[in-house]
Amino acid sequence: MNKLIIHRMLLEEIRLNASFASGKGFYSFPILVILAGLLAVFFSDEMIKDMGFSAFLESCHISILLYGVFTGFLAFFGNDFLERIFGYLGLIIGLPSTQPISQRRMTLLYFIKEIIFYSIFTLLPALIGALIGAYSNGLDLINVTKFGLALFFSFTTGLSFAYLTSSLYRISLPIAIFGGFFSISTYGFLFRNFHITPSLDWYLNGSIEMLFIAMIIPVFISIIATILVHENYESKVIQKIGYKGRLAEYTKKFEWSRWMSAPVIVSKERIDLQRSQTGTKMFFSFAFPLGILTFMNWFIDRGLPIQIDFNTIFYGVMIGFFGTMLYSWLNTIDSPNFYSTLPVTVSEVIRARLILFLTITWWIPLLFMTLIAYMSSEINLLPIGIIVMIAVGIYIVNYTAWSTGLRTNSALFDAIIFIKFFFISVPPMVAMTILSLAINHRPSTILVALATICGFLALMSILFYNRIEIKWKEESFD
Amino acid sequence: MSVISCKALSKKYDDVLALDGVDLNVEKGEFFGLLGPNGAGKTTLLKILTGQIRATEGTAEVLGLDVEKEILSVKRKIGIVPEQESPPSFLTPREVLEMVVAIRETEDPDIEKWIEFFEMEALEGRVCRNLSRGQRQKVMLAAAFISQTELLFLDEPFINLDPIVQTKVRDWLVDFVKEGGTVFLNTHLLENAQRLCNRAAIIHEGKIQSLISLEKLKQQKMNLEELFHEIVL
Repeated sequence: MNKLIIHRMLLEEIRLNASFASGKGFYSFPILVILAGLLAVFFSDEMIKDMGFSAFLESCHISILLYGVFTGFLAFFGNDFLERIFGYLGLIIGLPSTQPISQRRMTLLYFIKEIIFYSIFTLLPALIGALIGAYSNGLDLINVTKFGLALFFSFTTGLSFAYLTSSLYRISLPIAIFGGFFSISTYGFLFRNFHITPSLDWYLNGSIEMLFIAMIIPVFISIIATILVHENYESKVIQKIGYKGRLAEYTKKFEWSRWMSAPVIVSKERIDLQRSQTGTKMFFSFAFPLGILTFMNWFIDRGLPIQIDFNTIFYGVMIGFFGTMLYSWLNTIDSPNFYSTLPVTVSEVIRARLILFLTITWWIPLLFMTLIAYMSSEINLLPIGIIVMIAVGIYIVNYTAWSTGLRTNSALFDAIIFIKFFFISVPPMVAMTILSLAINHRPSTILVALATICGFLALMSILFYNRIEIKWKEESFD
Repeated sequence: MSVISCKALSKKYDDVLALDGVDLNVEKGEFFGLLGPNGAGKTTLLKILTGQIRATEGTAEVLGLDVEKEILSVKRKIGIVPEQESPPSFLTPREVLEMVVAIRETEDPDIEKWIEFFEMEALEGRVCRNLSRGQRQKVMLAAAFISQTELLFLDEPFINLDPIVQTKVRDWLVDFVKEGGTVFLNTHLLENAQRLCNRAAIIHEGKIQSLISLEKLKQQKMNLEELFHEIVL
C-alpha cells in the first residue's frame, strides 16, 4: 500500500505543479536544469581555479543542502498557503482525517515522495547535464556520478532538517525555532572537524564510514521528525480582532490611493496582513536569505585569494531584489475568490497589493538596510544604499506584479515565466553589484552610473505598472 | 423581457466538453432553476453568465449587456452566491458586508438588517476563517442580498444551512421575485426547486435536455423528481 500511496502522491504533485503554470512550462523545467548542469561543468574549471578545489566542492554542498531545506519548507509549509490561495484543496496527505491511516505514516510517505520528486525533476536532470558537460570536456564520468551521489545525500539532509522543523512547528513556534537552531548547532558541532557534509568527506577521502554516516543522518533526522508528528493537529484560531471599526478606519486612511485602487480593497488587504500575522513571516523570510548572503560573504572571503567586501550598496541591490518575496507573501494571505462576486478587476487587487508593499512593508527592508550599514560602519553609504534599494525594489516588484499577477509563487514554477524573470532581473542586478563593489575606486563615475541605472529602472517600473491594467483587467479570479 | 440570454454557449476544459451549445433565455421576474446531476455543467454555466470564466464559444447577455465585453457593468447589477462559500478569511461578517456595500456603492445599505436576518450577531468579532461552513454560507448570502440588485445568481445556496435559515431564505427569495426581482438558481435539491421555481431547465452532459414550466408539469401530473429521473437515468 505504501508504494501505491507514494505513486499517487507523485502523480498528484506533478498534476498540481502542472496546473500552477502552463503544462508546457512545467515540463520544460527539467530541460532548464539540464542546461544549468551543463553550464556548471563548463565553468567549473574557472571556479576551481579561483576558489580552490575543496572550497568549490564545499560551496556546491552548501548550496544543495540549502536547496533541500528550501524545497522541504515549500513542501511541508506550502499546503497551508495553497489552501489560502485556492480555497479548499484536498491533497492525499489529508487522507488520515477520513481514512484509517495514521498521520505519522502519511507524513513519512510524503517526505519520501518529496525526495523522489525533486530527485527526478531537478537532481537527475542536473546530473544528466553535468555528465554531458563532463563527456565533452573529457572528465571522468564515474567521478561526476559519484559527486552527484554525494550531492544527493546532502540534499536529503537539508530536506530532513525541514521535515524536522515542520514537525516541531506543529507543536509550537518557539519549539520549532529552538529545535531548528539546536539541531543545526548539533550538526555543526558533530561535524566541525570534517568537510561540510559527510557525503563530501566520502567523495574526497573515499571513507566508507562517511558514506554510511551520510546515509544514516537523513534517515535518523526523519525518524525523529516522524515520531514527533501529532495525530491530531488543529490549526490556530485567530483570537485577536482588535478595534471593530477597522475596515472603515483604514478605508478612510487609504482614501488618497483611490487613483490606484479602491480604498476599501486596500483596507481589506491591510487587515488581512495584520490579522494573519504575515508581517512576522515576512521578517524571518527576509532574515534567512540575508543570513545566507552574509555567510557566503564570509565563506568567499575565506576561500578566495582576493578579498571581496559586500558593501551597503550591494546589500541595497539584494534587499531591493527580495522585494519580490514581500509581494509574493502578500499573494499568499487569502484566496481572492470572493472578489469574483463583486465588480472588481484583478488589476485593481494587484494595485492594492502594490500600495501595501510601498506603504506598509517598507520598514522590513529599511530596517535590514540600516542594520547592515551600521554593522559595516558604512552609515555614510546608507542614503545611496536606500535609493538603490528603492529603485531595484520598485522595478522588480512592478515586473513581478505585471508578469505573475496574484499567483506569484505558482507562476514562477512556469519555466517560460521564470526565464523571462531571470533575464529581466539579473542584468541590472549584476551591473549594480559590479558598480557597488567598485565604489571606492572611482566614486564620482560610479555614482553617475548608479544614478543612470536607477533612473532607467524607475522608467521601466512605470512601464510595467501601466501594463498591469492591460494584462490583468480582463482576467478572472478563478 | 429577457434578463439572461445565451446562444450556442460551449465551454471546454482541456479535453472535457463541459457545456455543449447551450441556448437559454430567462425572463424578468422569473424564479428559474437549473437542475442537473453532479458534473452536468450547472456551475460552469453560472460562472460564464456571471463573468467568472469565459466561454469557449457562443455569446451570453445579462440584463442586455455582453458578459465578456462589459463584465464590470454586469457585476454591478447582479448578486452572486458561488458554489464554494469563500468569504474573505480575515474579515468579520460585518466587515465583509461593509466592504461589499463600499465596492458596490450601495445606497442606504441596511447592514444591521442582514446581520439580524442571518442571526450573525453572535459572530461579531470572529473572522470568517474561524466560522463553520454554514456560517460562512450565511455571510455569502448576506453579501449577495445586501447588494440590492435585480438579478441573483445562486449556486447551491441551501447547502450547509440549517432548516430554519433555509426557510427564511426561501421566503425572502419568493418575496424578492414577487417584487420584480429575478432568481437564477443552480441546484440538485429537487424539492427546493419544485417549491420555488416557476420554470426550470434540466442540464445533463453539458446540454439542456428539457426546459419546462412548473405549472405545465403540474398539469401533466408530474413532478420535477420524476422528470429528472426520466431524463438523467
